[in-house]
Amino acid sequence: MTVLITGLGVLSCTGAGTDAFWAGMRAARSAPRRAADPHADMEHPLMYSVPDADVPADPAECDGLPLGDASRYALAAAAEALADAGLGAGPDATLDAVADPSRVAVVVGTGMGDSGLHERWHLDGAPPGTRWAPVFSPAAVIGARFGASGANTSVSNACAASGFGLSIAADLIRSGEADVVIAGGVEAYSRVALGCFNRLGAIDPLRCRPFDRERAGTVFGEGAAILVLESAEHAEARGAAKRYAALAGAGWSCDAYHSTAPEPGGGQIARAMRQALDDAGIKPADVGAVIPHGTGTQLNDVVESGVLTEVLGPEGPPLYSLKALVGHTGGAAGALAALAGALIIANRQIPPSVPRGEPDPRCPVLLPDAPVPLEGSSVLVNAYAFGGNNVSLVLQEAGS
Amino acid sequence: MSVDLVVTAAAVVDPEGGFDHRTELGPRGYKYLPTASQYLLAAVKRALAAAGEGLASVPEDARAAAVGTNCAASALHARMDRTIIDAGAGDLSPATAPYFSINLFGSRLATEHALKGFNLTLTSPRVAGLEAVQAGSRSVALGRASWLVAGAAEEPPDPGEPGDGGEAGAVALVLEPAGAVAARGGHALGRCAVRTAFLPPAGPPDELARRAERLLEPVLGWSGRVPVRAVVDSSPVGTALAGALSARAEMTEVPAGAGCLRPAAEVAAALTWDGPTLVATAAAEGNVAFALVTPGGN
Repeated sequence: MTVLITGLGVLSCTGAGTDAFWAGMRAARSAPRRAADPHADMEHPLMYSVPDADVPADPAECDGLPLGDASRYALAAAAEALADAGLGAGPDATLDAVADPSRVAVVVGTGMGDSGLHERWHLDGAPPGTRWAPVFSPAAVIGARFGASGANTSVSNACAASGFGLSIAADLIRSGEADVVIAGGVEAYSRVALGCFNRLGAIDPLRCRPFDRERAGTVFGEGAAILVLESAEHAEARGAAKRYAALAGAGWSCDAYHSTAPEPGGGQIARAMRQALDDAGIKPADVGAVIPHGTGTQLNDVVESGVLTEVLGPEGPPLYSLKALVGHTGGAAGALAALAGALIIANRQIPPSVPRGEPDPRCPVLLPDAPVPLEGSSVLVNAYAFGGNNVSLVLQEAGS
Repeated sequence: MSVDLVVTAAAVVDPEGGFDHRTELGPRGYKYLPTASQYLLAAVKRALAAAGEGLASVPEDARAAAVGTNCAASALHARMDRTIIDAGAGDLSPATAPYFSINLFGSRLATEHALKGFNLTLTSPRVAGLEAVQAGSRSVALGRASWLVAGAAEEPPDPGEPGDGGEAGAVALVLEPAGAVAARGGHALGRCAVRTAFLPPAGPPDELARRAERLLEPVLGWSGRVPVRAVVDSSPVGTALAGALSARAEMTEVPAGAGCLRPAAEVAAALTWDGPTLVATAAAEGNVAFALVTPGGN
C-alpha cells in the first residue's frame, strides 16, 4: 500500500512555515544563539532557537492540561500541515467534515516533550491541583485539538524518536488501522537536556558543523515538523491536491552496544539502511540524495560516512546537511529531515548545505555548497539515537 | 501481516515488598542505574528465567524490545535541574547525565541481551505499557524481529509535580511466535492483543459518554462479552469510558496511578486467570487502550 505525504507543517530556527523553511534551506545561513534562560548555568548554553516572533503564545492549556512550548510548536506545525493537506484550516477547524476521525491517527516523536514547562515549575512551583501532568503529551494535544480519534502515540527514542514515529505511522496505514496519520516530531528548549549534553562534553562552542574536520560536538535546535501521511486510496478518493512524496520504506535496528556511543563498525546502521531500501523496493542507484543523521559529533559522522560509502558506493549521491542549518533538533530531527526530503523531491532540487570549513578526510561525503538537481527517484533519511537506536527512511517520488 | 504471538513469560517487579538491585541483578554494575531501569532489568531477568530456552536460539538481529514509561525520568530530571540551577551543569554526575533521555531507561536491556532488532520507547500517557505490546507485536508481524520483550517501567514523579498516585516497578512480557514455542516444546501462558484509540476530552459529560459508547462498539465486537478490568481515573475521559463499559460488560474498576504501569500489571495478572479478560485504560488527555488477554494456548 502506498503511503503518501499530502501535507507539511514546520517550525524551526528558520521561522514558521514550510515556505520559510525551504527559503532557509536555499539560503544556507544560520547561527545558534544563547538560550534565553538566565538559569542555563553551563559552558555552552547555545541553541538554534525558534525566532521570538514565531514562538506561538497560545494555547496555555488543553482541556485542563497546562502546555509547554513543545505542545504549542507541535500544534502550530499540525495546523499548517492539515491546512496544507486540505483537511481543515482556520482556528476552529476539525477533521469531522473531511475524514472519518476514527480513521485519523496521531504519532509524534519527542525526546523531552513538555519538560521545559516542568523545568519552569522547578523555579516557580507547579500549579495547584491534583491532576497528574504527563510530560509526553504533544501527540494527545494534537488529537484533542483536531478531534483525531484513531490511535494516538508518543514515541521517545531520543534523537531517532520521530524517525521511528513516521515509520510507525506508515505501519498504521499499511496495516489498515488508519487512513490518515498526523505524524512528526517536536523538541523545545530543555535546560536539563542542554545541561546534560554540556556535562557530556558534546556541545560544539561555535555551531553545528557536521563532517567538518574541526567539529567539536553538536548544537541543539528547537523545532517541530508534522507530515500528513495518507493512504493513496484515501488521498485519491478525497481528491487530495498535494502529493509531495511517498514514504516508501523504513529500516530499524539497535546497536545493543553502548548507552551513548555508536557501534564503531556501523553494522546495525548499515542493516537499517539496507532494510529501508529493500522495504521501498529500490536499489542504491535510485537514491538521489541523503539527509544524514550527521550531528557533528566526532564518531557519529565518521561511522555514518563509512556506512554510506559501504551501502551506496564510493560515488554515492550528495548529502544535504540539515543539522548544519537548524541544529540537532533531538526527537524532532527525523521528522524535520523527512520534511526536508519531501521538499527536495517535490522541488527536484538539493539546496546547498551551510558551508563547512575543512572537510574531514575520514568523512568521504559529497556536501554541495550550491544547489544541485536531484538525480534519482528517492531520498534516504537517517536518524540515530542514544541507546544505539537506528532508523532509516526512504522517501520516493509520488507515483514512482 | 499476521503472526500468532503467544506470551511465554510474564514478570512483575513491585518494590513495595522490598527491592535490592544487588540481589536481583548482581553485585556490580547496577548501582548508578536509575531505579526504574533496575526494576525493568529485574523484571526481564525474571521473565527470561521463566520463559526457558527461547531467547538462546533467536539470532541477535531478530530480538527486540518495546518499553512504555511516563515518569521514569521525572524525579531524576528534577534533581538534575536543581543541580544546574544551584551549582551549574558541571556538577552533574556523568554517570546519570545520559538519562536525561528517557529511552536510556530501556537501553541497558538491549546491551545485556543483545536485542538488535529494535528497542522502542513509548511514552503516551497511561497507555504506553499496552502500546509497547501493540507496537512491538505489529513490528514483529512486519518481520522486524521474531522475539519480543514488551512491558512498562515507572518510578514516582518528582514530589514537586502536580498529582498523586505515583507508580513504582516494572512489568515484562515475553512474546514469541506460537509455532516457534511449539517447536521447542515451550509453554504458552496465553495471548495479549492490544487496540488503541483516542477520546477527545472536550465537551459536556453526556456528549463524551456518547462518544465513549461509539468508541466501544467495535472494541466489544472484537473482544466479545468478557469481564473487564478498567484502569481509570476520575477525569472526564476516565469517567466516560468506565460508564460506557459498566453499561455493557461486567466491569471492575481499578484506580489508575500517575504512569503506565498499572494496566500492564493487570495484563500480567490476567494471564493467570481462568478465562479471557479485557483490560481497558484511559488517560485524562484522551489516550485509550484495550488489551484482550486470553490465558492458555498450547
